[in-house]
Amino acid sequence: MSLSGKLRYILKIAIGGEAHMLNPGDQAPDFEATDHNGNTVRLRDLRGKKVVLWFYPKADTPG
Amino acid sequence: MIGVSFDTPAENASFARKFNFPFALLSDPDRKIGLAYGACEKQSDEYARRIAYVIDENGKIAQAHGKVDAKTYPREQLASL
Repeated sequence: MSLSGKLRYILKIAIGGEAHMLNPGDQAPDFEATDHNGNTVRLRDLRGKKVVLWFYPKADTPG
Repeated sequence: MIGVSFDTPAENASFARKFNFPFALLSDPDRKIGLAYGACEKQSDEYARRIAYVIDENGKIAQAHGKVDAKTYPREQLASL
């Protein structure tokens, strides 16, 4: 690991929060879930398309 | 573009209607997606963190965003697709 990589790692541990995020190049874990219209969405069905996966804490909260 | 939270489909439906989101909002009540993607630490976490990923055409993570602004991020990303 390079020095800047080590520093980033230490910072992540010190700040917390982001230590378990996936990194660029990782395989995106497949999932299956129900959307707001009741449809089942599977990540593997979206292969061939660019997907933005956006997590938000709570529907309809500011910020 | 896909949104993910720990809300119910009904809560997400009203959220989608209110903001006219032209994409799916997924319910992750058992935190399976949240845990797999580092949006929460444990199954009992109440809320997902404000993080986002861009996944490429081959199913690999292309970009990881540790902190995103919920007000502007969806529109910015939709514009870039």
